[in-house]
Order: sequence, then structure tokens, then C-alpha cells
Amino acid sequence: MLTHQIHHRPAYAQLELTLPARESLLVESGSMAAMDSSITMKSRMRGGAMGGIQRMLSGESFFMSEFTAGDRPGRLYISPAIPGDIQHYQMRGDRALMVQSSGFVASSPTVELDTQFQGFKGFFSGEALFLLRATGRGDLWFSSYGAVLEVPVDGDYVVDTGYIVAFEDSLTYNVEMLGGLSFRGLRTGIFGGEGLVCRFRGQGRLWIQSRNLYSLVNFLNPFRPTQSN
Amino acid sequence: MNIDILHQPDSAIAKLDLAPGESITAEAGAMVAMSGSMQVDTTLRQGGGGLMGGLKRMMTGESLFLSVFQASDRPAELFLAPKLMGDICVYPLQGNTLVVQSTGYLANTAGVNIDIGFPGLKTFFSGESLFWLSISGSGTVLLSSFGGIYDVDVDGEYIVDTGHIVAFEKTLDFSVTKAGAGWIGSILGGEGLVCRFRGRGKVYCQTHNPGAFGHLIGPRLPAR
Repeated sequence: MLTHQIHHRPAYAQLELTLPARESLLVESGSMAAMDSSITMKSRMRGGAMGGIQRMLSGESFFMSEFTAGDRPGRLYISPAIPGDIQHYQMRGDRALMVQSSGFVASSPTVELDTQFQGFKGFFSGEALFLLRATGRGDLWFSSYGAVLEVPVDGDYVVDTGYIVAFEDSLTYNVEMLGGLSFRGLRTGIFGGEGLVCRFRGQGRLWIQSRNLYSLVNFLNPFRPTQSN
Repeated sequence: MNIDILHQPDSAIAKLDLAPGESITAEAGAMVAMSGSMQVDTTLRQGGGGLMGGLKRMMTGESLFLSVFQASDRPAELFLAPKLMGDICVYPLQGNTLVVQSTGYLANTAGVNIDIGFPGLKTFFSGESLFWLSISGSGTVLLSSFGGIYDVDVDGEYIVDTGHIVAFEKTLDFSVTKAGAGWIGSILGGEGLVCRFRGRGKVYCQTHNPGAFGHLIGPRLPAR
């Protein structure tokens, strides 16, 4: 495991890493905050051109950054774009981790990342559900808006799609409309509110976040200027 | 019911453990996650007042979607969170009445009654659907704030900017007035309307004003 520390949790988490000499790390594009000058950066298109296009569709950047330490260890600070928390996950090669695509922060080069398009079932009112599937061995960090909470699932658990951060793929899941939660049609102009949830079954760990970016977008919507024509 | 408030004060989230058959009512969008066995029902609640009242409500947006969560024959857990960054406060209601700003309401336990719209308090701002709830009965109310939440024990007279009020006990008399001496100065000075409380009781205030935040960012966004 890489030596790392997460500072300023849970609202303003920042990841501090020490990269051993000549070792490298993949980082979400644009999230490097500061680093030793001995570290070099290279842009990479993860998973080739198609992988890059999928990543762009899923709201992530087309490129990822690869940071490599020089002949001596180097220190790197990484800040996610959204204020919130960061969680470390140790990949052991035994199970895959699914990460909500905009929640990816960084991973070891030995971790394989694959964007999984969840189909149009996730495409309600801009609330697309794109997941990154991480496999292999090594370190992985993901981030949340607000605090991140670990939920040990055993059986049947329901999460609003806007609050999913990551989950182990020992859990099966499907996106569904929960009729009891729905207020679609009663009022227009709200993103979400269709009662769109993800139902998880089985045993495994799940991470949720304490805030949802779409709620902030909905709050700000009435304050936008109106078109004059 | 066990209620834990986690990650205070900026990223607060409420974890509720419901015994079999127990229920809780919450603002419809507040559900983050829950046990798969939980039963949910969402309804649109509106204030009273007949046809004219109905028309007025459509104009002022005095309506609220409420979800009722009920545990089935087994215990169930539920996570609830407010929309904006901020805190959650647990208020024990003991037969008294609490007046809550609609954005400050998060949830309530059984035994608590919600009336929508509070006579004497009108919608102060344009652009936002801001209204008041009159919450009475016995049980627990969860309040949410934008930023931190603090309470003030009023004994005599006290003034709070309307955008900073989360809730206040109905034992207090109040009037909505301008902050400064003159209307023009009040409006140009940015200090809009204030609530002047009189009597004895608690006022719950939030450190940040959601309206001010919205008015600062809104004009920088693309037009609707």
C-alpha cells in the first residue's frame, strides 16, 4: 500500500501521497493540487480511444494524468473537484469495485479501469448512472460530495442513484423506480424525484455520500436568469 | 427509534433505526438510502383554505411532498440528508408548536402534525418557493440548516434576518419589518426584511442565507 494521508475530512478532503522512486500513479485529470518538482506528469488516454470517448460521455475528462516519481520519492497532493470526502480501497484481486464515474480520484497502475455504460435506464433528467469497474491489485481512492459512509450490505438495500459512490461487485444491483418515492408528474422542472433508486442484493460493502450534486443544481435552478425572448 | 446525526456540522446526515412497524415522515427528496424492506408512500401536502386558498397556494408554491417510511415486520434503517451543505438539529416537540421555514424541515416522527402555511408570514422573496410550516404535537422534529445552526433564547425583543431563520417557537410574537429606518436604505443596503420577535422562546438560526447564495451564483449561470 502506498503511504498516504487524507487531510481535512469530511468536507474538504485532500489526499497526500508519497510516490516511491520511479513508481507511478494514475490520477483523475485536473485534480493534482501540488507536487514535488521531481515528479513528472504525462497525459494518458485510458483504455484507448473508445475508452476515452466512453469516459467523456460519462462526464469525466477524456484524459487521465500519470504521475511518476524521479530517482527519489516524491510527494503529491490531490484534490477532487467537489468538496467532500476521500476513501481508500485496497484492491486484492479477489473482487471488482464499482465506482460512480465522477468519483474516481486515483489508482495504482496495476489496477485495471473499465467504464461501464449502464444503458439508458439510468438516463432520467440528466441523472445518468455511469460506473467505473476496477479490477486487479493495488490502491484505489474515490471521492464523495459531502461525507462518505460505508454501509455493510447483507440482504436487500436501496440507495437513491444520486447518492451512490462505490460498491463491491459481490453485490448484484438493478436500477428501478420505487413507486412509493415517486412524485414525477406532480411538479415539473425538478431533476430527480422519479423515485429512481438502485437496489442492491447480496453481501458486500457499499459507500454512499451525504450530499447529492443534483440537489444543489435543483436549488440553484430558480435563481438562473430567464431568457428575454 | 434511534436517531444519530453523523458528520456534523457541514456534511450532516441522519441515520434512523426503526423498530418493526415504526414510521417516520420526511421531506420527499431527503431519502439517501434505506433497508430494502422499508415501505414508502409519497404524497403532496398542501395548506388548507378552500378554492381561493388553492389558487393562492399555486401562486406561492405552498406545497410539500412528504414521504412516509414505515418498517415492515423487521427492523429497518434509513439515511436522510438535506439538500445543501450544513447541519441537522434534533428538536424534541412536547405538545408545543414550532414554526419552521419550509427549507429547514427535514423529518418528523409519528405524533407530530404538520400544517402548511402560517398565517401572518408571507413569502418574502421572489424566485424561491419559501413558505412556513406550523409543526405541533409530541415527538421529534429534524431541522436542517444551510451552514451551522444555533439557537437564541429570546427574552424580550430580538431581530433575525428572514433568510437566516430556520425555526422558532410559537410562544414568540413576531412581526416582519425592514432592517433600517427607511425602505430605500433597507433595500439598497442589502439588509432586506427582518423578523422582530417579542416574548420568550427559542429561535433557531442558520449561519448562511440560502437566498443570498442563490442570488450570488444564479446570475452567473446560463439562462433558463
